[in-house]
Amino acid sequence: METGYLAFAMVMQFADAFAFLVLAACGLAIVFGMMGIVNLAHGEFIMCGAYVTVAAVHAGVPLPLAIAIGAIASALAGMVVEFACIRHLYGRPLDSIVLTWGISLVVTQTTLITLGSNMPSIGTPYGSFAVGPYSYSVYRLVLFGSALAVLAGLYIVFNWTRFGIAARATMQVPHMAAASGLDTRRIYSWTFAIGAGLAGLAGGLYAPTMTLVPTMGTSFMTEAFVTVVVGGADVILGTAPAAAILAIIKAGMTYWKGQLFGQIGLLIAVIVVIRILPKGISGFLTRQ
Amino acid sequence: MTMNAVRRFFSLIEGPQTIGHGRPFWLGFALVVAVALVFPAFADGYTVGNTVYFLNSVFIALGLCLIWGYVGVLSFGQTAFFGIAGYSYAVLTINVGTAYGFTFAALALSVLAAALFATILGYFLFFSRINGVFLGIVTLSVTLVLERFMAQTSGPEWKIGTARLNGTNGINTMPPLTLPWSGGDFVFYPDPPLYYLVLALLLIVYLCLRILLNSRFGNVLVAIRENPERAEMLGYDIRKYQLGAFVIGAALAGLSGALYTAWGQYITPSSMGMTAAALPIVWVAVGGRSDITAAAIGTFIVLAVFQALTIYGNQYALVVMGALLVLTVLFMPDGLILSGAAKLGRITQTLRHRRSL
Amino acid sequence: MSRNALLRFRKAALAGSFLVAAAVSTIVPSFASEPIKIGVLEDQSGDFALATSGKVEAIQLATDEINAKGGIAGRPIELVIYDTQSENTRYQEFMRRVLQRDKADVVFAGYSSSEREAYRPIVNQLDGFVFYNNQYEGGVCDGNMVITGAVAEQQISTLIPWMMKTYGKRVYTIAADYSFGWISAEWMKQIVKENGGELVGQELIPLGVSQFSQTIQNIQQAKPDFVVTLLVGNSQSSYFEQASAAQLNLPMASSIGVNQSYEHKRFTPPTLANMHVTTNFIEEIDTPEAKAFVARFREKYPEIPYINQEAENSYLAVYLYKEMVERAKGSTKRADLQKEIAKGDICTDAPEGKVCIDPKSQHVSHSIYLAKVGEDHSISFPAHWDNVQPYWLGQAGCDLTKFDPSTQYSPDNPPPKG
Repeated sequence: METGYLAFAMVMQFADAFAFLVLAACGLAIVFGMMGIVNLAHGEFIMCGAYVTVAAVHAGVPLPLAIAIGAIASALAGMVVEFACIRHLYGRPLDSIVLTWGISLVVTQTTLITLGSNMPSIGTPYGSFAVGPYSYSVYRLVLFGSALAVLAGLYIVFNWTRFGIAARATMQVPHMAAASGLDTRRIYSWTFAIGAGLAGLAGGLYAPTMTLVPTMGTSFMTEAFVTVVVGGADVILGTAPAAAILAIIKAGMTYWKGQLFGQIGLLIAVIVVIRILPKGISGFLTRQ
Repeated sequence: MTMNAVRRFFSLIEGPQTIGHGRPFWLGFALVVAVALVFPAFADGYTVGNTVYFLNSVFIALGLCLIWGYVGVLSFGQTAFFGIAGYSYAVLTINVGTAYGFTFAALALSVLAAALFATILGYFLFFSRINGVFLGIVTLSVTLVLERFMAQTSGPEWKIGTARLNGTNGINTMPPLTLPWSGGDFVFYPDPPLYYLVLALLLIVYLCLRILLNSRFGNVLVAIRENPERAEMLGYDIRKYQLGAFVIGAALAGLSGALYTAWGQYITPSSMGMTAAALPIVWVAVGGRSDITAAAIGTFIVLAVFQALTIYGNQYALVVMGALLVLTVLFMPDGLILSGAAKLGRITQTLRHRRSL
Repeated sequence: MSRNALLRFRKAALAGSFLVAAAVSTIVPSFASEPIKIGVLEDQSGDFALATSGKVEAIQLATDEINAKGGIAGRPIELVIYDTQSENTRYQEFMRRVLQRDKADVVFAGYSSSEREAYRPIVNQLDGFVFYNNQYEGGVCDGNMVITGAVAEQQISTLIPWMMKTYGKRVYTIAADYSFGWISAEWMKQIVKENGGELVGQELIPLGVSQFSQTIQNIQQAKPDFVVTLLVGNSQSSYFEQASAAQLNLPMASSIGVNQSYEHKRFTPPTLANMHVTTNFIEEIDTPEAKAFVARFREKYPEIPYINQEAENSYLAVYLYKEMVERAKGSTKRADLQKEIAKGDICTDAPEGKVCIDPKSQHVSHSIYLAKVGEDHSISFPAHWDNVQPYWLGQAGCDLTKFDPSTQYSPDNPPPKG
């Protein structure tokens, strides 16, 4: 019986790590994969989603709706940033790194000045359940479910909708897509908004479980980058398997040797993947 | 070697890959050097020490400019080399001490350590044909890994010889650069002697880079940036050239790191963290990445302006810094110096044009 | 310019600056009213802004109070304040500036240990005098430093025996994986053993980690009587939310929760219920002195989110400095001040109670309060210790009245014998 409880605990640890990696990374992965832009303000979109969610909850909105509001607010912020800045940088991906870092500086510090050094937390809802000697927060299951839902949603959007197909066409051969009458500009704009919205969703989902400070986005960044490096440019074919593999490594190593080795495990995985799969998992899966 | 060959070698100090040629430029250059030489006589101790800190940072910027501006490869991990050299300097000098001017040997060995690490990393990167933005992410990951690793070395088991690594607290027991001198050691604290030493190093590095960039090697690098496939068709193994430039850039980052460590007698994992990693990119981008002169001047200006903002702008400093960056990228894509110079050039041209009418 | 010309030029410049200085000093009325400059280097932005808010205000408050009563030895205090943005390099830049350019008589500087270690070589080289007004892991034996924050042995040697007596002898420790966490955990191990307890688990958590489900599971597996949380930083404090959501329901003990980043105000009850913290100050302390201090503070700075122990450390530091300068007859020279410190009776009546500087280590004795967080996040004080000494450094062999090694020691790296 004891081993059964422990096995269940292991599964929960995996689900937990998987959800965190997927939710942290997919916004970054979409913007990077579709647009070739490394968005260093990714963490600030996460923070934006979390702050709006928490503000909505404090205003009396129920949590699920508040998270949706947070994600939408982030997406809108993403649209504004795209319109004002990113739009002028297509074809200059390296400059976009500098630009988004500048944005992240401005946003973090402005948040600190206007909203103070932190926001009061909202508490984790839905209680807990116990399996044998271990008790778990029900909300962790919600996070895992959300991660799966996001992956499914992305799969549907990018494979079955007109927008998704147009977006993939734009990503693969931009000038051909433009020549065949697609409004690539609008597609980029929407893609960036979706990326920012997903970051906001991650922020909203994790808001009840985390400390709310202007720099909270940075605690997602390493995991997000690692997942994107291992996954490669394609969100569906890259992020999901990368997150699964990394979650096994992270949960296993953390269980075996503690948090530090969980982190080192992630980083070793990156180095190995760089050498054997330089274009990430999706590059390997889609190679000609 | 005949006189001619020597002259040809030094004539490479001017050429298509570097801005500035002819008498006006070198007169200006001489003027700047002259001002730099007499400057400590006018300035107080703080300003001299602070300027050394700025000059230290120019090396990493020159290295980044070389691989980003000239090879077209954005390394987000220059601070990894900075940190490796800094920690090497700390570990070597703490273990061996300052006898026989060893600190200078440690400086050289630290730069070598950074270059060695870059050779290994660069081999993995370029021979796997990783390029573009992806290379930026990978190099960033590497420096973040190093930061996290060094951050967890607080325990007593993490020591190399007699040097405890101390985790995030960092190491601060290493000596500054020290020369044995008659009547006691001469210690290079951040005072005029260290200033002249770093200034001399910087001039040497700058002039050598000019020669390197205008040589065949530099021309090939630019050819690779402009069109890697064509360069390859012409028979160049572009991976070797990329690796070569990457290692030189890393050595310069290492020089910055070792000098910084000797300057402040301090090195910490956060010297390799996210903010630290982004800063050189900001300096070079704002200055102008396509030319080493612009990058060097830009670095100096950005450092001075950011520091002034922090002193006088208080908590709005970071906001203004971020906004400056965004505006530079949007409106002066070639960087402040090059865009400014181009504008100035246009104005003088119109003036000359008018006068000739 | 030839070497000779340069020398001549330098001499001329030097002579000129003397003339200017002489002219200025004739304008400034007299030496007695020339201000005493206190440099203030604190993080008003960046990662640490949350925990350091209130430090600068506390120094300002003490300064205004002292200036209103005629200053230090008849000289007004002037503050030179820089925002160090939670960056080590900013400390290196501004410590040099404040000592060399502003010529501050004393500097109050730093939050994290890495910031302190970044500026300490500069202070040693330029022979400055610096107050570090912050709780930390302990061990700095440096004549250029006075440390007013509590150290590990002051907080842990009071906390752990009380917890073991009240809740039981099985202890689980989770600590941040850096010097503060590491050294505090070592103290924990030692004190648990001395009191006949058992350390059933110890985990070091890398800084920046925000996900704790495995840690929570490990704790449940080990079944301790209480958990010691030595977590630092905003990411790590997510632990409390996650442990509470998983219904861990164990008593918690800490030396660094509540008293810095007021977690009990920021999290929704009962996230932090049953947390026990030993601290030399928090704003809920209900002695008349503490209440009066909080009232004065709030009157001047109604916006301040919380008056934490570092704010009080900074406040009392100004008064300790006043005390030693006045005893040294108005001298601000380090040697004169250290002579006064060596006498062993530099004390002040701080909001927490009476505090004194220990001459051997130049650390400060404290009143330690045990704060317990209730279900509704109200604070009660089930225990209190007066005059708790920072004893370790002195016992281990650090004696600044005799020798200044300017080094940070730790229990696994003690001062050399003899």
